[in-house]
Amino acid sequence: MTATRGKFTQIVARHESVLLLVIVFEVVLFSMLGRNFLSESNVSNIFRHSVEIGLLALVMTPVILTGGIDLSVGSLVGLCAVVFGILVKESGMSPLAAGMIAVALGTFGGAMNAGLITRLKLPPLIVTLGTFSLFRGLAEAFTKGSESYSGFSDSFLALGNGSVAGLPTQLWIFFAVAAGVWVLVHRTTLGRSFRAIGYAPEGARYAGIPVERNISLAYVLSGAVAGLAAVILVARLGEARANAGVGYELLAITAVVLGGTSIFGGSGTIAGTLLGYLAVALLNNGLGRIISYKIFDQPVSSVARELSGMLTGLLLLGALAATVLAKSLATRRARAQTSPNPKPQTNP
Amino acid sequence: MKRPLFLLAGVLSAVLLGACSKSGESGSDGKLTVALLPKSKGNQYFVTCEKGARKAADELGVELLFDGPTNTDPAKQNEIVENWISLGVDVICAACENKDGISTALRKAQDAGIKVVTYDADAQPDARSFFVNQATAKGIGDTLMDTAAELTGGSGEFAVISATLTAANQNEWIKYIKARLEEKYPDMKLVDVKPCDDQKDKAQQETTNLLSAYPNLKAVVAICSPGVPGAAEAVKQAGKAGQVKVLGLGLPSENRAYVKEGVTQAVILWKVEDLGYLTVMAGAALAEGKLAPGATEFEAGKLGTLKIEGDNILLGTPFVFTKENIDEFDF
Repeated sequence: MTATRGKFTQIVARHESVLLLVIVFEVVLFSMLGRNFLSESNVSNIFRHSVEIGLLALVMTPVILTGGIDLSVGSLVGLCAVVFGILVKESGMSPLAAGMIAVALGTFGGAMNAGLITRLKLPPLIVTLGTFSLFRGLAEAFTKGSESYSGFSDSFLALGNGSVAGLPTQLWIFFAVAAGVWVLVHRTTLGRSFRAIGYAPEGARYAGIPVERNISLAYVLSGAVAGLAAVILVARLGEARANAGVGYELLAITAVVLGGTSIFGGSGTIAGTLLGYLAVALLNNGLGRIISYKIFDQPVSSVARELSGMLTGLLLLGALAATVLAKSLATRRARAQTSPNPKPQTNP
Repeated sequence: MKRPLFLLAGVLSAVLLGACSKSGESGSDGKLTVALLPKSKGNQYFVTCEKGARKAADELGVELLFDGPTNTDPAKQNEIVENWISLGVDVICAACENKDGISTALRKAQDAGIKVVTYDADAQPDARSFFVNQATAKGIGDTLMDTAAELTGGSGEFAVISATLTAANQNEWIKYIKARLEEKYPDMKLVDVKPCDDQKDKAQQETTNLLSAYPNLKAVVAICSPGVPGAAEAVKQAGKAGQVKVLGLGLPSENRAYVKEGVTQAVILWKVEDLGYLTVMAGAALAEGKLAPGATEFEAGKLGTLKIEGDNILLGTPFVFTKENIDEFDF
């Protein structure tokens, strides 16, 4: 009895379970109040519109696990998008070749972050804040701030707007990346080393882990996937602009932290990140579909963006607080069970 | 339960399964739904558009949705349009921030049987049926030049403050100002065109320079909205209020104080509320089959009969806001 009860509290205390409840609640709420929320085309929209952020969140997880952060990914998306546009529209390159160069450029951007962080021992926050401005600035310089590239071939646009086997094309890419990152983080020694480094970098070093090399890999991966996200984003919009991906870094970090990864590094799961991403994606889409109900004298759908920003914040704080509370409850109960007499001891 | 991934997969498949069982899309109780997309939502200009749009929607008894981006993320307008498609709206009216990008989404809307009208800033012609044109470049250029001539008595030097020297629309307007000048006002002279980078401070600085460089300057014409109050502030500080006339394109609300003080003589803009009103009128008429491509006139409720040039529905000549009428407008 006590054993099952302990197990139950443990499950409730799991961050992922709290999030799962939130997601179920969102789905029920939006399908009741919203219009056509669960229609096929809207479910496609939910994923189509958020896949780029989902991809960034997936690879942000290893970075944060090592105790780092990558603020440059949104800007890197902008830079890769612009370079992709220039290569296809001005140099007449095929989208496939240009896409590979965009991913290579992203990889290079990530390697630059990695080099500055591990070789010069600069804090990741500062390094990526710098490249955050640098990458966006380069994108703006390449386009003189206002030029954009469009008129891509239909076969390329299908990557962002078409479907394969009933699901948006880019969702399949997302599944593949998610599976890859999951294996990396949860099934390889490299993945385990990310948590070890985040938990105690010095300890990891003494344990023989090549700390610098492994940290570098996390940033390089993050950059490469930013390049991939840029290509998908351009395929979805049909246009490459310097301000593509503005603010995506914060949305990705939100998904990761909401998913239970400690911002100090050391603990976190890919499943948590996926759930965090899903919770935010559902919220962003669902609020826009509530037309018949009013808030502040306006239809909810008209203030959906403001509300979703606010609610994402509340969700983040709420989910984090709930986990901490549930955990402390569980430990208190566990303590109560181990010592039959919980009264404070008095000196004999 | 140790594998939240399985749970996640379960939820995902439940969502997708639910999707398949409910794929029939329906609007609400047979009412026409018109969706209005601004370039950005917090902008007073588009808030005023929405006001006019609501009036039209109430008159016609249609449901109006209003939503737009709150930041500069170019993906946002597309996402809103795509969500409206799956919502099953009947008409989408869009003010396009990124012409090419948004056209991708608007074409998808047309493919789904939704009528598309653009207003304020056009999309690519094949992505919409009509563009509600608030003012042609010629209309703006002519009105600016005529007003400047009227204020200066038809003679003397004047200068132009523009946003940037490369902005396409600004150069269009300058072209028509020059054409009108040549055609009608031989005694007037355009002495300089200065960019202000769409900043009030810069406009003020440039105007101060102009005032000292050209002591006989009679008027400053600002053709970007931050330029008008910027020029006014410079003229005021130089103590030349009334002596050097200030006019330009801008929102009445941003210029009210200067107009009342007599520093700025004329603010030129279309009636923004009417733009929203006309857009919804046109969108609804299009959906009901009362307006079709090829029409040359459009009966737009309280605005009367308006001209259609090609696929542009024209709102008419711009409106001149002066000391006398500026209080009637709150945008």
